[in-house]
Amino acid sequence: MWQCDYLPFEPTSASHQYRFLTGERFHIKSAVVKNDCVVLSNVLAELNRRQLPSGGWAALRSSAQTSLEPTCLAALAIGSEDSDAVRRAQDLILRVQNPNGSWPAFFGDDQDGVWVTSLAAIALCDVARAIPARLRGIGWLLKCEGKESNWLWKWKFRTVDRHVRFDPDKFGWPWIPDTVSWVVPTAFAILALSQLPCSCGGLEDIPVRVDRGIEMLIDRACPGGGWNAGNGVVYGSALAPHPDDTAIALLALGNRTQHPVVQISVDWLEQTTPTLTAPWSLAWAVLALAAHGRAVGSLITSLTALPDVSANDDTCTLALVRLAGDCRRALAALGMNL
Amino acid sequence: MIPSRRNFLVGSAALAAGASVSVPFFLPKYHSVRRAKRSRVAILHVEEYSQRIDQVLASGLRLFPIDVQDKTVVLKPNLVDYIPGNAINTHPILVLAAAESFRRMGAKCVIVAEGPGHQRDTELVLSQSGYRESLRDEDIRFVDLNRDELIRTQLCASFMGMRSLWLPRTVLEADFLVSMPKIKAHHWAGVTLSMKNMLGVVPGSRYGWPKNILHWKGIQESILDVCATIPVHFVIADGIVAMEGNGPLNGTARPLGKIVLADDPVAADTTCARLMGFEPDRVVHIREGAKFLGNLSPALIDQVGEIPQPPTTPFQVVPEFRHLYAL
Repeated sequence: MWQCDYLPFEPTSASHQYRFLTGERFHIKSAVVKNDCVVLSNVLAELNRRQLPSGGWAALRSSAQTSLEPTCLAALAIGSEDSDAVRRAQDLILRVQNPNGSWPAFFGDDQDGVWVTSLAAIALCDVARAIPARLRGIGWLLKCEGKESNWLWKWKFRTVDRHVRFDPDKFGWPWIPDTVSWVVPTAFAILALSQLPCSCGGLEDIPVRVDRGIEMLIDRACPGGGWNAGNGVVYGSALAPHPDDTAIALLALGNRTQHPVVQISVDWLEQTTPTLTAPWSLAWAVLALAAHGRAVGSLITSLTALPDVSANDDTCTLALVRLAGDCRRALAALGMNL
Repeated sequence: MIPSRRNFLVGSAALAAGASVSVPFFLPKYHSVRRAKRSRVAILHVEEYSQRIDQVLASGLRLFPIDVQDKTVVLKPNLVDYIPGNAINTHPILVLAAAESFRRMGAKCVIVAEGPGHQRDTELVLSQSGYRESLRDEDIRFVDLNRDELIRTQLCASFMGMRSLWLPRTVLEADFLVSMPKIKAHHWAGVTLSMKNMLGVVPGSRYGWPKNILHWKGIQESILDVCATIPVHFVIADGIVAMEGNGPLNGTARPLGKIVLADDPVAADTTCARLMGFEPDRVVHIREGAKFLGNLSPALIDQVGEIPQPPTTPFQVVPEFRHLYAL
């Protein structure tokens, strides 16, 4: 029988390794577990059904356009490397890599590269035949930085354009090149870079970029905790945090548990999550709360109890529901090894 | 002095080089003129969001010669984020009333479509703002434009210097596209009305949340390029409760009690700007749009329903846009 096998953990040091602490296990009533199990099986079946002949997935059920974000998340959700579906997805990801090492948003896109490069690198982690491609992707990520890192824009944001409160010295990654850093692409890039076992052989910049990205996330938190899309204060008004942006940022800050901004953000997310009725945000929140050692058993049950969750039109949402339902494996896939 | 052949060639080359640099500044940045000879705008008075909007809107739409028989109608509301108490989004009651009216007018299919600007969880915004249940109850399809199929589309204007954008199939294939903005002051664009509302069609899955490239290329310029490329056939603007100050998210609710209908987005935005107490030709995208997209001059706008009266107190704006105030 399926169980939510949840193991809280915390970091040992500034490195991105995590140490197992306790073996608390949530024993959920069998009827509830059965329901969770059925729903998660249905989600998996639906994901398999939606795989396109290309080997990838489209963003929406009604679409036939292979898109990289759903493909990476679905491959992670299905999980098993032995699976033919996952192997076909990995082949697709390798096939569509841009010549510059980045990945496009979808099959047929321009070849400049976008934020999904981080997700592709995560999806290809532990795939031996993908090592060269993954390293090229990591190389592109290291060259890609928010526009505010340039001295000219830094000067502009310090002097004449001060309506958005942030420190331009603390920059991360943009959604697409030639724009400024935002929370989600920065968090994904931190997760992707942190999965590398070492920072040698041309990858020496990894620790610096990761640390700077973490500083950026901390700098741009909302005043009461949590994260909006990119900044906490605009024109003097505090922005409201978004549950999904907050959760993704907290995953990237999994080894900064003791930082006050992280603590207040985890508390905010924990209070907010039970009120969420949208599976995308709820699933991300489950993963983030689990990563920070909070109880998620009842939240998984709430997630699988949402109406029509296995028929959700959005493929990324389906994949996330599946990942949240098996959060221990999902966190391992994101580099948070127990 | 008789010019030598060499001097003549050098002079011609210099002239050609100079022209190639300077001429683009004087040529229009739009590829074709779509402005109608005359436009029609109706201002409807509605005090509050209630079921009465159905009747008011249906009678307002009868003031226009609209033909949606057997057409696919796409309603594009302004759906940004949800903050309790803030008048951020086009109210779902108005969107449902519009859907019902177009269905009664014989539309083959009515779709509500939007791509929220910086909230990735579209379903959460739909749920919190009251859309999800309403759309489900009325069996109206919603398309998340941030994740729709994308088609590379050549832009029909070159204000922002991009040749093409990836745009969603649902919008490109619409037979009749209705922009349904919330009337708001906007801290980067001055106002967000029917033209600015169209930036919501630019997909987040390709350009991010927010679509930051549009800010860097220039918001006014982006609005013009997108509106030149995707024709807006009709406007239903929600000004029952509008927003002033630090919009589009953190401004103050401003009861205006108006719905603005128009067959021309420039004329619609001109009227809305006047209702806000602004001089429309001081809003860059309205002024430039009036050269090729629609009408700004009152002489070219047939005003039906109420006559636009500037408010006693104009809408508050951030300091950078105080020049919008009518003298």
